Amino acid sequence: MPEGKFRSRTFRRIHVRTPGGKSVLHYRRRKPSKPTCAGCGRVLAGVPQELPHDLKKIAKSSRRPERPYGGVLCTVCSRQLWKDKTRIEPTEVKA
Amino acid sequence: MSIFTVGRLCLKLAGRDAGRKCIVVEELDSNYVLIDGNVRRRKTNVNHLEPLAEVLDIKKNLSHEAVKELFQSHNWPVWDHNSKQPAEKPKKHKKVKGQSGKSGKKDQSAKKEKSAAPKAKKEKSKKAEDSEETA
Repeated sequence: MPEGKFRSRTFRRIHVRTPGGKSVLHYRRRKPSKPTCAGCGRVLAGVPQELPHDLKKIAKSSRRPERPYGGVLCTVCSRQLWKDKTRIEPTEVKA
Repeated sequence: MSIFTVGRLCLKLAGRDAGRKCIVVEELDSNYVLIDGNVRRRKTNVNHLEPLAEVLDIKKNLSHEAVKELFQSHNWPVWDHNSKQPAEKPKKHKKVKGQSGKSGKKDQSAKKEKSAAPKAKKEKSKKAEDSEETA
């Protein structure tokens, strides 16, 4: 019987083949949900879907796009934001 | 006729310079222009630019220094690349034959100690033999 914490599906299960030829079960943490745009909810491109301790290992420049609001807003929403700031009558950002 | 004529003030929408003011310096194509100002001087797709109302009276292909002065006269921030001067490389000193460095001195002293140790042993053994003979 596995440990109590491994009896739920909190951890994902991975079958690993050992050097001795046995197939054993390993438990790993599930990855977090995909990062989404704060404006429209679209899945963000260029942002890795990793656990925080794995994200720490990646360079900051490769953790999110380099433009302002990179990793928060998608390209469409960020462009709309700049347009709204410059135009006299701002258009509504799609929610 | 394109709205992105020479001297048109724009806002950059895409890339690392998004949200910054720039000016069209040269029209390269129907789709591409050369921009400068508070951004890196570069060729840009007009889809990545938001035109502003102002058009400044400038010559075609104005240098970055001139654009910089123009922006400063309007109290607009200007992008300026302050390139870091590379640090001087540490000079390698070639070893000259005959000159011993620190490591060489250590080796010599170690050798002396090693060579001295068996001599001391021999002397001790000789003394012991002499003492036995006298006894």
